[in-house]
Amino acid sequence: MSDDDEQYNSTAHKKLLQAISNLGNVQHIRKSTRDERQPQQDEFQLFKSAKTTQHATKAVGVNDLVQILRSSKHIETGKKLKNVHSTKKVLEKPLEKPAADRIKRTIGYEGVKKKLGRWDAVVAKQRSAETQIFPIPSETIYINTAAHAKALRTSIKSELGKELEASNKKLRELRKAQIGDDTDEQALAKRESELIQKKLTRDELYARRRELAYLKMRESQKSAKARMQNKIKSKKYHKLQKRQKILEQMKEFEVLQKTNPQAALEKLNALEKSRVLERASLRHKNTGTWAKNLQVRAKYDKDVRKDLAEQLAVSRQLTEKKVDSDSEDEQQRARQMETNEQESYDPFNPWTKSKTAVKDEPQAEGGDSNWRKYWIERNENEKLLAEHSAEMEAAQLEKKQIKKAAKEPTKKKKKPKVVVENGWVVEEVDEAPVKAKTLDDIFDAQDENIYDKISQKLVKLRKQAEMLKQPTKKSKKLKQKRDELKNLKDLTFKKTKQRVEIDEPLNQEEVTSKPAVEGVNDLSKLEEEKKLEVEPTEIDPNKVATITWKQTVRSSDAMNNALVDDDAAEYDEADAAAERQLTISEAFEDDDIIADFNKDKTNDSEVKNTELQLAMPGWGSWAGAGISQKVMERRNKRLLLKLAAPEKRRDDNKDNLYINETSNKQARTHRVSSIPFPFKSLADYEASIRAPIGRNFVPETAFRMLTRPAVITRKGQVIDPMDESELVKPNRRLRHVVDKRIRRQEQADQAKLPKVAK
Amino acid sequence: MKVKMISRNPDNYVRETKLQHHKVPRNYDPALHPMEGPREYVRALNATKLDRVFAKPFVCNLSGHRDGVACFGKHPKLLSTLATGAYDGEVRIWDLANRISLRSFVAHDGFVRGIAYARNGQRFFTVGDDKTIKVWNAEAPDVGEEEEPVNTILSRHILHGISHNRKDNSFATCGEVCAIWDEQHNDPIKTLKWGVDTLHTISYNPVETNVLACCASDRSIILYDQREAQPLRKVVLTMKSNKLAWNPMEAFNFTVANEDCNLYSFDTRKLQTPLKVHFDHVSAVTDVDYAPTGKEFVSASYDKTMRIYHAHQSHSRDIYHTKRMQHVVCVAWSLDNRYIFSGSDEMNVRMWKANASEKLGVIRPRERTNFNYQEALKEKYAAHPQIKRIARHRQVPRHVMNAQRKMRMVKDKELVKEANVRKHSKKGKVPFVNEKQKHVLREDI
Repeated sequence: MSDDDEQYNSTAHKKLLQAISNLGNVQHIRKSTRDERQPQQDEFQLFKSAKTTQHATKAVGVNDLVQILRSSKHIETGKKLKNVHSTKKVLEKPLEKPAADRIKRTIGYEGVKKKLGRWDAVVAKQRSAETQIFPIPSETIYINTAAHAKALRTSIKSELGKELEASNKKLRELRKAQIGDDTDEQALAKRESELIQKKLTRDELYARRRELAYLKMRESQKSAKARMQNKIKSKKYHKLQKRQKILEQMKEFEVLQKTNPQAALEKLNALEKSRVLERASLRHKNTGTWAKNLQVRAKYDKDVRKDLAEQLAVSRQLTEKKVDSDSEDEQQRARQMETNEQESYDPFNPWTKSKTAVKDEPQAEGGDSNWRKYWIERNENEKLLAEHSAEMEAAQLEKKQIKKAAKEPTKKKKKPKVVVENGWVVEEVDEAPVKAKTLDDIFDAQDENIYDKISQKLVKLRKQAEMLKQPTKKSKKLKQKRDELKNLKDLTFKKTKQRVEIDEPLNQEEVTSKPAVEGVNDLSKLEEEKKLEVEPTEIDPNKVATITWKQTVRSSDAMNNALVDDDAAEYDEADAAAERQLTISEAFEDDDIIADFNKDKTNDSEVKNTELQLAMPGWGSWAGAGISQKVMERRNKRLLLKLAAPEKRRDDNKDNLYINETSNKQARTHRVSSIPFPFKSLADYEASIRAPIGRNFVPETAFRMLTRPAVITRKGQVIDPMDESELVKPNRRLRHVVDKRIRRQEQADQAKLPKVAK
Repeated sequence: MKVKMISRNPDNYVRETKLQHHKVPRNYDPALHPMEGPREYVRALNATKLDRVFAKPFVCNLSGHRDGVACFGKHPKLLSTLATGAYDGEVRIWDLANRISLRSFVAHDGFVRGIAYARNGQRFFTVGDDKTIKVWNAEAPDVGEEEEPVNTILSRHILHGISHNRKDNSFATCGEVCAIWDEQHNDPIKTLKWGVDTLHTISYNPVETNVLACCASDRSIILYDQREAQPLRKVVLTMKSNKLAWNPMEAFNFTVANEDCNLYSFDTRKLQTPLKVHFDHVSAVTDVDYAPTGKEFVSASYDKTMRIYHAHQSHSRDIYHTKRMQHVVCVAWSLDNRYIFSGSDEMNVRMWKANASEKLGVIRPRERTNFNYQEALKEKYAAHPQIKRIARHRQVPRHVMNAQRKMRMVKDKELVKEANVRKHSKKGKVPFVNEKQKHVLREDI
């Protein structure tokens, strides 16, 4: 037995035991973690559990530590440690290299994209600039001040010099005492030293000095202006100034009304007070010296009378109690309606027809034809429809006004009246009521419009905001698809001066460019189509529109106003009316287009048909009378210039065709056949080449502006690439006159734009 | 009797010339100038004709190399200095103003692959086929002294190109890998590698100076950031890109010269489609360089011509060629935007005007305004057929013309074929593909 005992190998036994115990075990494959070192990494990031792989002693785990700590006095620490162990996850193994690299690359690329995106604005600006100057002018100038700095002079003053200085100082003090100057020299010196201590740079000093000079100049200018203004004795000037001031105040008040009602109320009170004051005073009563003096002259001078009357009118206006303006408006409207109704009309004229509202009932309903019946029916229908729609609109309007909580009385839209006179049926078009509207109505409508729009927009915005709140998967997808160059595109301006861009291959061989020809055909086709479309509307085969005008017109309407600017007309009303009538008939004179067309065609040949007699009286009959008739005839025949026989027109037999034979064939090759690239309409292109640019046709400065090259470079100067300082550079200060002018023009244009938009 | 008369100071009215031109007060009322349009048109026509008459772009020929010219190095500060490297390893420094070669020395065994000047222009770097980077002084050595490099760096990898950073002291080489170097060190600071393909050209972005790009032999363009540990992005085209040039005024745009006769302008932020495809060459495009204004670029081609393009147009605005110029290998646009240099296979460096009809020498202000006026007129009437015809007519070598005809024929044939296929297949099965999208195979992340 002892032999057996001796033979007993403990390690081998252990091994055996373990092997036996392992027999029933499952192999646990886990995800590898970072808690222990591993000599080998599996490619799938998996590893077998320690039991199976490591038959050696297990590594010390945290649990063991906890056990030990529990047994000792550090129970708390043990607990904590256990907590930590249980809650904290072990880090996962790092990603595979290719995947990790891909992520790194993506991040890096995003960063670079972002960095490059900074240049969008600068590039967009450069691209749209009308003139670019290279090298890009920089504002900063570098001066090596150290090179020119003078050496400090540190020579020791001589005795004599010191004494001189002291005596000088005494002298100065004495002199000062004599004058009575009590500026503290020491304080000045102190300030100076302070300034020196601050160490203003040269540029800063310059800037400050400039600023001071500017301020001083402004001050002096202002004082001079005030002095001058005070000296002005012209009453008219002061009157105007005062009026201007009032106007300004009114404007301010209007602004305040919108922004700050409280302040506006105060302002209103102040205005009212000033009015009351003025009312209380006896101004504008023509009791002053000025008025008295004038009254003497008023007998003889028309202007003076006018002035006095004006003055009185002002006083009346001031002293008048404020009346409700609404009633006045109503009256006015009523008056306007009356005038409208008085207007005459013409049934055939589409212009007048559309404008007038006529009152009478149809007189001769019995003797009407079918179409008249139709019209009457139609009118009635429309009447009903209009009524209905008017009601609907009124209801809507009320709704809106309730929404707005505005207290103004609702104005019902007037029903479009359909009235018949002289047997002619006239339908009222929308334009007439628009015309009848007062300014207030228009403003109200506008307000409503704006209010509606705003509310719609608000709803939209709210929806968008909600959409944004929900982090959907869709938005992610969209993000991936987003256009990287969107920012750049958004930033690009439309070029003010469009130029033709020809992006075609250089023509090395004379090939008849096929596409161009096709383009021409297309263009002509288009034109033809247009004509076809237009013609039936323009030419009335029955010549309905050619009508002689005999009825007199009593008052104006909108169309006539448009045709004739009657503000300029000074003659009396009847004349003007006749004139207007004429213009309308003129406008429709050409309606017989077919006849004109044919006439046009024959015109040319007529000229060619004539014979010219070149013989002059007395010529060839030097010997006086009595020359035989035969000779005379022969001579006359000789001097008769026969023009060539009229050529046959190319469009002779074609009724609907007119070929312009006067057009130059040679000029045809010089004409542009299609609209060149960046232009979208013929009008745009024509506008771009219409204005001349030569100095024979435009003033010198305009010439310089128009012929400014797109790129200006200087000889012998290196053009450096774009610098980072461009990103933060303010606008360049311009030196060149033309540059300044262009800038000013641009600014003016920009100022104009919003007005136009309104 | 008092006589009143108008008196004018002739000083205000007489121009300062010997011809005593009087200033004529003009009435600009358009009613008085009924023919202003036609007159200007005729002026424009004449200006265009004159433009073609004076279009003599060739300035001079710089001969001296004993083998084909391989690469250029532009001095960043001096306009009259140009460094050229040849196939036999010789580097020459030219004085362009006097049209002479100032220095010449053999720098490498085999090709000189790239030359790059340092930021301040006091040194320049050359790389060659012998796997060395050599640093040279920009100043010529004293008389009697030999040309010796300031420093020679032995690289572990083959080198194919070099580019210097515009703002700091680092430069980058390409070859097997893209390596970022510092001027002070003999080892690369960083090597960036993506795949196993050879990188044959490298270029630093002149504006955003940390970004650089390489062209690889697997037909790809690779973007790098010199601060990152990894390359950024790769885009693979249908054929190999030979050279890459960044737009010096638009930080995000670059153009590559491709083997398939086209050039492609890309926006770095959107690589899946090129911004513009520049056509017109009939053979592989070997080199491209931007004008310093960033508005135009010049390309050299294996078809023995150079072409000048507007950066945003797909067809060239001009073509330069001479009878004796062979395959153009390298091209450079001078930094004052006036001249173009071309180096070709037949050992010559040529200098051209960037604007073919530009007048060299002093231009007086009145002359300048007249030129401006003519230029404006030409621009205004550019679309008129006669003016367009004259302005865009070019005589080209016969082989180019023939090749162009052939290419056009091939293209037409393909179009017809595609149209036919489309016609006879199900609707939507043969989609219309944009020309821009045809040339980019994929974008690797």
